[in-house]
Amino acid sequence: MRLREFLVPDGDRWLLACWLLLCLSSLAVLWSVTEPIRGPYLALDPGVVKSIFYRQVLWVIVGMGALLTAARIRLRTLENLSVPAMLSLLALLALLLVLGSQISGSRRWFLVGPIRMQPAEFAKISFILAVAHILARNPEQRPQPMLVVGTLGLMLVHVFLVMREPDLGTSLVFLAVWIGMVFWYGVPGILLLGAGSAALSAVIMFISESVLSRQSWPWGIYLLLVIGVLYLVPISIPARIFMLLVNVGSGLGIPFLWAKLRGYQQERILTFFDPMRDKFGSGYQAIQSKVAIGSGGVFGTHYLQGTQKGLAFLPERHTDFIFSVVGEELGLVGCLFLLTLFLVIIMRGITVAAAARRPFWRYAAVGIVSYFTFHVFVNVSITTGLLPVTGLPLPGLSYGGSNMITSSFLLGVLLNISSRTFDT
Amino acid sequence: MSGQGLEFRKQVFRGVVLLLFLLLAGELFWMTVPRNRYYRGLALENRQVSFRVRAPRGRIFDRRGVLLADNTFIADITLSARDYGAGRCDSTVGRICGWLGLDEAAAGDRLDAQLARGAGRLTLVGNADIGQVVLVEERRRELPGVRVETRPRRRYLQGPLFSHLIGYVGQIRDEELADEDAHADYRSGDMIGRQGIERAFEASLRGHCGVKLEEVNAAGHRVGRSAVWLEEVIPGRDITLTLDDQLQQAMADAIGTDVACGVALSCLTGEILAAYSNPTFDPNLLTVPISQADWKRLSEDPDKPFFNRILQATYPPASLYKPIVSLAALKAHVVGRDTELEPCLGGWQLGNRYFRCWKSAGHGRIDHVGALVHSCDTYYYQLGLKLNLDTLAQAARSFGLGSVRAGIFSEEVPGLVPDRSWYDQHFGAGRWSRGVLLNNAIGQGELLVTPLQMAIVAGRLAVGNDLPTPTFVAGQQRVDPLPPLDFAPADLAWVRDVLRQVVVRGTGQQAALPDVAVAGKTGTAQNPHGEDHAWFMCFAPAEAPEVAVAVIVENAGHGGSEAAPVARRWLEAYFHGGARNAALQPVVAAGRDSS
Repeated sequence: MRLREFLVPDGDRWLLACWLLLCLSSLAVLWSVTEPIRGPYLALDPGVVKSIFYRQVLWVIVGMGALLTAARIRLRTLENLSVPAMLSLLALLALLLVLGSQISGSRRWFLVGPIRMQPAEFAKISFILAVAHILARNPEQRPQPMLVVGTLGLMLVHVFLVMREPDLGTSLVFLAVWIGMVFWYGVPGILLLGAGSAALSAVIMFISESVLSRQSWPWGIYLLLVIGVLYLVPISIPARIFMLLVNVGSGLGIPFLWAKLRGYQQERILTFFDPMRDKFGSGYQAIQSKVAIGSGGVFGTHYLQGTQKGLAFLPERHTDFIFSVVGEELGLVGCLFLLTLFLVIIMRGITVAAAARRPFWRYAAVGIVSYFTFHVFVNVSITTGLLPVTGLPLPGLSYGGSNMITSSFLLGVLLNISSRTFDT
Repeated sequence: MSGQGLEFRKQVFRGVVLLLFLLLAGELFWMTVPRNRYYRGLALENRQVSFRVRAPRGRIFDRRGVLLADNTFIADITLSARDYGAGRCDSTVGRICGWLGLDEAAAGDRLDAQLARGAGRLTLVGNADIGQVVLVEERRRELPGVRVETRPRRRYLQGPLFSHLIGYVGQIRDEELADEDAHADYRSGDMIGRQGIERAFEASLRGHCGVKLEEVNAAGHRVGRSAVWLEEVIPGRDITLTLDDQLQQAMADAIGTDVACGVALSCLTGEILAAYSNPTFDPNLLTVPISQADWKRLSEDPDKPFFNRILQATYPPASLYKPIVSLAALKAHVVGRDTELEPCLGGWQLGNRYFRCWKSAGHGRIDHVGALVHSCDTYYYQLGLKLNLDTLAQAARSFGLGSVRAGIFSEEVPGLVPDRSWYDQHFGAGRWSRGVLLNNAIGQGELLVTPLQMAIVAGRLAVGNDLPTPTFVAGQQRVDPLPPLDFAPADLAWVRDVLRQVVVRGTGQQAALPDVAVAGKTGTAQNPHGEDHAWFMCFAPAEAPEVAVAVIVENAGHGGSEAAPVARRWLEAYFHGGARNAALQPVVAAGRDSS
């Protein structure tokens, strides 16, 4: 009885069950990924050895420890630790740029004996908790713009440091988490809407001008749509003008910025959006991943049978592109199963974030939900070619200790909050 | 707590998440269901590579089944064009060049050139030696996309003995590959027939390349054993020559070191038994890129080893032409078989020009038989004046002169039998004198023949219309049959008898054998560039001819003393060696399906 209480944390059982299923799926997929490559192989890609699987077993166990710890620790203690933890990790991130071990062109890791430690992963935890702590300071009143601006500064520091490694994917996690949290805090929706539509306008203009080579009609259509929506939606005149200005400004600014870039920079960005421009170079991963998922069909090529994986055409198949292996070997069915597990975690998380009694709990919960949402959506979008390739692991699935610990810990915090929300 | 606002934000958050997940699900569905076939095709394209497999070239045999040309293997170190094009082989190329001591920049240029041509495999090292092959094979696992590929190499087992007839193969050149109509089926590194039989029978010797599909991994290494053949390899057809290895060797021995050519054929079957041109070359040197030193030695030799004297060289027939002139004269009834003309005083005066007999002292009174036996030019000058050019030319052509006789060799030349219209055309109508008639009558002037043609003349003098159309290859008739001879059988018999006398008591005594009756005719072709060429043609046994031979020795002098002994030595080998029985029967094709 004591043992069961020790091993099974309190809190939402759906969250726990889905997370455990994800970790088990991860081991099953990694077993397949670490099967030897067929045919003579070479140093071109060292391949994925079986020891990766056993290490991941270890990481799952360590992750469970982190989850149990986070689920049991007093939330007050976490809140108190959040700011010092964040400051230490910021220091580490800064130090990393100087002292970090360079692996394939970027400094993301500290080598601690045989283990690679990725401070940016742990910074996600401290960032979520610290921002939640700051936002929770003045909850009873109307939202304080100064708090939002303060957390914006914190977020930008994180984004800046991580982007310098360089690690674009991870740096955007901080942005996404911050947006989710300040939205929950109660930033006027018009601001978020304005920012979102400005970004969309810029991307559409870019695609119109550069990828489609100077056909600006898609942007024109987008602008007409925006004007139509603004006309129909009942909001204030200044809000309408703000929205229109933001969209027009960001759209028209793009060609100016584009013209300022050098040829090779333009080429790199174009390949980012259109992998086929460089089939054998940077577009290779994106293409091979799409081929893996698309060729899998509804039921996949069956477990262990994938050729994109088994013949090593799919790069990073144990880390960022592990979802492609699921798609190839287990098909649409396997993909939807995993997506459902994530969706359940996120939906339960939103419920927890809305129902939690204390402000810190609410903001921490929504930060964690934003974290999972962003990771899952962006990672799967990259494997299906909806978004350009940037390194971002799929929580619970991708091989790697840092992310496993981070994700497990955050889920443990969510469990902790839920246990205090529903039962007591 | 702002309960109302929170509830709203909760719904918005949920709505956004649902939208994002629906987008993902929709994209996944789109990729795996409607686009599944497309992506399956791409996955297949990734792992399946088609390989072209060269067909083994047909072998070449002599008439008794002795192997003259077959195939061994040559090893190339090659790279996958896909990997090289993707820049994934740069370090590999560098390492291999380092081990083998090659110039990396030059190797890169070669590879780039091949890549530009669209080759599927790029040859880094052609004709690698065993040491290089072992080195690469041992480290194959660290060398992505690298393979040691073998391709057949032609091997000529008799070396230089048959080189002019069989010819040789060489690697196809880039400019030939560029001509896609003519060489659609060829790829870089393929062999193509360059001369002789190899070139003439290229299409059937070559066979057809096969194509097979193999599964490869991302490193370009083959996975598993099974391969799917898209097209089967069809091996090249074997070819059997009518020539006999021993008789060919006998001809080479008979000629020795002279710059000379000898052709022998069977009077019973028309099959060429031996055809040898000296000097010669070793065709094995040419099947791989030849060394500078060898090429210099062969191409700068003044005796032109690559020159095929059997088919390509033309000489005036000289006195070998006299039997034909005699037959034309007899047919035209301008003289009888024993008619005596003006005596030979060492030459003949025509207008202001004096035409010399080879015997400056003169033959004195001489009849038709004596003139042929002793090859009296003065007698034939007179015969020529009694005939006309067209009659002479017609007689010569009925023996097969003036046109190609083997037909299968692109290098063969027809020679020249000039008639009146030829002189009108080349000298201008009325611009040439009757003097050309005198030159033609002794086989000089503009007349040109090949050694092969003279062997056929000897054969037709021996057996007349019974001589089948001469052939080099079993079962292959690509030349027009010989025109029929239109001479009285008694006249032909008379010529045969006189040719026998030439060897018994005339200019051809050095061709005589003790136990076989040889009949022949000597000739000495005037050579404005140097010493005269020595001619001899003969057939034996005179009473029932089996073989006919023509020999020319360049810049040697008199036919009787220089060419006749060559023929005699070959006839000795024929009658006393072991090849005679096989030579009497028509050749039977050996080896693979020669149908």
